[in-house]
Amino acid sequence: MKTLIITGASQGIGRATAVEMSNREDIGNIALVARNEKNLEETKALMNPKCNVMVVPHDMTDLEGIEKIVDKIYKEFKSIDLLINGAGFVNPTALLDTTIENFTQTFTVNTVSMLVMIKACVRYMKGKDAKILNIASTAGSTSRPGWVAYASAKAGVISLSKTLADELRDYKIKVYCISPGRCATELRRILAPEEDPTTIMQPEDVAKIISNLLEEEENCLDGQDIIVRQK
Amino acid sequence: MSVGMVILAGGVGKRMHQKTPKQFLLLGGKPIIIHVLENIEKVDEIEKVVICSPKEHIEQMKQLIFNHNIQKNIICVEGGKTRQESTYIGVKNLKGCDSIIVHEAVRPFVSDKEFKSMINSKEENAIYGIDIPFTVLEGSEYIEKNLERNKLINVQLPQKFNGEKLLLAHEKADKEGKHFTEDASLFYHYYPDDKIKIMEGSLYNIKITTPVDLISCEQIYKEYIVGRK
Ligand SMILES: NC(=O)c1ccc[n+]([C@@H]2O[C@H](COP(=O)([O-])OP(=O)(O)OC[C@H]3O[C@@H](n4cnc5c(N)ncnc54)[C@H](OP(=O)(O)O)[C@@H]3O)[C@@H](O)[C@H]2O)c1
Repeated sequence: MKTLIITGASQGIGRATAVEMSNREDIGNIALVARNEKNLEETKALMNPKCNVMVVPHDMTDLEGIEKIVDKIYKEFKSIDLLINGAGFVNPTALLDTTIENFTQTFTVNTVSMLVMIKACVRYMKGKDAKILNIASTAGSTSRPGWVAYASAKAGVISLSKTLADELRDYKIKVYCISPGRCATELRRILAPEEDPTTIMQPEDVAKIISNLLEEEENCLDGQDIIVRQK
Repeated sequence: MSVGMVILAGGVGKRMHQKTPKQFLLLGGKPIIIHVLENIEKVDEIEKVVICSPKEHIEQMKQLIFNHNIQKNIICVEGGKTRQESTYIGVKNLKGCDSIIVHEAVRPFVSDKEFKSMINSKEENAIYGIDIPFTVLEGSEYIEKNLERNKLINVQLPQKFNGEKLLLAHEKADKEGKHFTEDASLFYHYYPDDKIKIMEGSLYNIKITTPVDLISCEQIYKEYIVGRK
């Protein structure tokens, strides 16, 4: 039985993915990571009860603590086979209005904590046919005036995913990167408060794509920026 | 039968025109020594590994072993002034091992299968060697002699020896002040009647010595090694 870790599992795409993945036969253990414990418990309640679920409240800006939570999850479930990095943060501001704190927070949650998380998990994943999926954004590959920190942090996610897909190939670890377009979540509401969320892609749509990518079968889609967008 | 291994990691990297010793240079994104250790990690037959390294690099070596989560009984010890001295120190640290494999940190492409087939071969002493595909002549300034290349071999590592005899051979060489470039020559000198089997080596078993070697190894790694273990 495989063990899966999902960051950003307390709502939105992360939550929908946790629910979708819990229905899979091959997955027995799922660890849910985010700050809001109450919301994580709500995610757990929505999941298929056949899975062992571990709620792991953690603020991903506490970089030192990431290794500790990974060790804890490994101790509990004895393996780490799949990692979905979904934690994301955005606070859009014009360049001249933005602050160092905003830059730092945006890069830390979206990019740096992802690298630290991957590093901690790879120690346990080496040679085990493991898979990592990183959620970037279409903002990472196109110009987004007013979102400079978020867009460039997501460009970092695309880049680190491509590099690690090559670097970790020898360990039989596949690294995937998806870039969703507009999707009806809290984060999207911050970016486009006036938008009608019923008219855009839903978190469940992205969750299905993630689950398909993480199927056992070979799909040749690792190491590239996969755009997931409703036309 | 207990099997121990000496890994020579003595290089300080002068020939590579680099400050970083060769064994720590990145190949395919990870240090060359880690390629070696990850292959050895899969060889259960090897009970103990002694890495002989210059004193100033021991800490870095230990840190890498920890970072890459290498699960093997490994000790890092200070090597000697010469390659032979380092091997001797390594072999002394493996006292009691029936069989000792000698390898070096800058030959990243020896697979776990190659280590296993050497260890499990019925021969007590063995080396990997390959044919020499070009003409070799003897001479320094002027040619002095033709050599028959079909009688020569290109000696590779790893090499395997009877543990007790290898230790004795090194003790004798040390006492007599005799120098050899590698252990098959040393062992053969003291035990000419003991057979040393030449097993067929591989063209990929490159010893990374020059910057050009590193460039070709990057390509070999991408095309032939990665993901195929
Ligand atoms: N929605 C879109 O249109 C869209 C488009 C492209 C890419 N994405 C990406 O998709 C991913 C999921 O986002 P979403 O759209 O589903 O938004 P969301 O509903 O706002 O979810 C974001 C998740 O990240 C977690 N998070 C934020 N800061 C955190 C921190 N410091 N420590 C730990 N967890 C933290 C949140 O949990 P807590 O608040 O409980 O900590 C939450 O679970 C993000 O990487 C986002 O950038 C979204």
